[in-house]
Amino acid sequence: MSAIAAKPAAGAAMDMTSTLIGIIILLILIAATYFVAGSGLAFMALIGVIVGGILIGFGVHFVPVGGAPAAMGQAPGIATGVAMLAAGAGLAGLFGGAWAAELGLVVATITGAIGGGLLMAVTCMFVNFIYVFGMGIPSASGKVDKDPITGDTQKEFKSQGTEGHGLPFVSYVGGVIGGIFGGGGGTLIYLMLLDLYKVELPGMMNALPGQVLPIAITLAGIFAIGIFLVNAVLAAYNITGTIEGPHDPKFKRFPRAIVACAIASALCGMVAIMIVAV
Amino acid sequence: MTVKVEKIEGGIPHTTIMIAGLVASVILLYLTYANIAVGTEYFAFFGGLATVAALIWGSHTIKVLCSYGIGTGVPSAGMIAFGSGVIAMLFATKYGIAAPIVAIVLAAIIGAIIGFVANNVLNMRIPVMIQSLTEMAIIGAVILMGYAAMMTGSFELTSLITGKVSILGLSLPSYQASFIGGGLIAVVFMLGAIAIQHPFNACLGPSWTQDRMLMLAAECGFLSMITAAVMSMAIVSMGAALVSLLVAIIGWYYTYTKYIELSYRDAASWVDSKPIPETEGQ
Repeated sequence: MSAIAAKPAAGAAMDMTSTLIGIIILLILIAATYFVAGSGLAFMALIGVIVGGILIGFGVHFVPVGGAPAAMGQAPGIATGVAMLAAGAGLAGLFGGAWAAELGLVVATITGAIGGGLLMAVTCMFVNFIYVFGMGIPSASGKVDKDPITGDTQKEFKSQGTEGHGLPFVSYVGGVIGGIFGGGGGTLIYLMLLDLYKVELPGMMNALPGQVLPIAITLAGIFAIGIFLVNAVLAAYNITGTIEGPHDPKFKRFPRAIVACAIASALCGMVAIMIVAV
Repeated sequence: MTVKVEKIEGGIPHTTIMIAGLVASVILLYLTYANIAVGTEYFAFFGGLATVAALIWGSHTIKVLCSYGIGTGVPSAGMIAFGSGVIAMLFATKYGIAAPIVAIVLAAIIGAIIGFVANNVLNMRIPVMIQSLTEMAIIGAVILMGYAAMMTGSFELTSLITGKVSILGLSLPSYQASFIGGGLIAVVFMLGAIAIQHPFNACLGPSWTQDRMLMLAAECGFLSMITAAVMSMAIVSMGAALVSLLVAIIGWYYTYTKYIELSYRDAASWVDSKPIPETEGQ
């Protein structure tokens, strides 16, 4: 098959057979962890990783990703790819949450969510600033006639031959919500793995808990980054690269991403847990 | 257009590059084991060469995958490669001398399942998806292990998490001054992820030629190796780090001049533009 003939054929439909196989793989992975590591902290960590992965995959669907067309003012959204945006929001959230790790799971996860949301809010604001004052284009959605939140009409502002441009209000709100989900999910993965490593590593390495803390933090951090990127890219594959926000018809594809992210997180989480459990 | 499509499909077949990259990187990784056999750290630079071999293979895999137009941009392929690779690599380091083999097998399993998820559950339906993501996970794991071997002299977990700090001439073990404890793994994660996606991202288009892209991949690999060699001064002995640095600089200089030559060859025309011309006195 030549490079030109091939086009992404990802439809909106769900492949039920493959989804069922996927769910069976997911259950096998969870069961395998249960039998190897027992029902203690390690199993809870796996559940936390899966929940975090689902939050990340779901969150990516809210973020207005425009890609290269957006940079040329021909499509709405932030003018970069999902990998960059998700990495930005997720890592900002992860760093925010990591600072608050000592304050407990709930506080730290919310801090991470706020960190991710804040980064997206700042990004979206300056993206719109550059679109409006730098490129001289108004914000208009190409997918809906009226902004679902403000009720503003979009059609009059949309240039002919484009799919819309700029960052409409609903996309801005979507970006912030996506950042909150992504940052919170990333932080949850980090915290669950950190709790596990803090307990397991001293015994494994014959060292004091204080000595292994740098190892536990880096291991949990790098695994969280790895799992985060895998989930973000899978969610990006689901929306085939670009999306306007929660009002985009592509948003309805999210159930597929939730199944996919659950499987991928369970797989990566199991290996991350086995490093101390086996 | 037909000519250009043929050109994109021409060159060395992907299978050849894959086998060569896999064999070369595994052999080079095992050559760093000579450190332990002989008792020095001077063979650490083989780890860096292993990353270059894997990067050349990886950039071609990205080309095979991304020529199908996955829609998410080329960098996302590099990110998923390292995201799945780092998990396999860290787990595999527990197995001592078998680490590279375990990393490859485990990364292949992780990559195949993620490929199945992307291709079937997410309904991408790209013929090379499963194979490509399997390769990408292996490449990510091998590159990270190569950097680990280069910067610590070994690819075993114990040497990755323990370093040495000398205080007043006393050499004390420390977990903080190590490859993992010091967070150096996060830096090489990004060094590798950017080096693997850049060659195809920079060379794609109708004038894509295989040798130019692969030369750029080698150039990116050596450039990252220079940075990794500088960072390795914190962990391995200064002599070993300097050997790595020297190898990296020589390799980078050679591949960079070669790449510029190939760029001149492929360019329609080029003008040797001068800095701002001096108009004074005219």
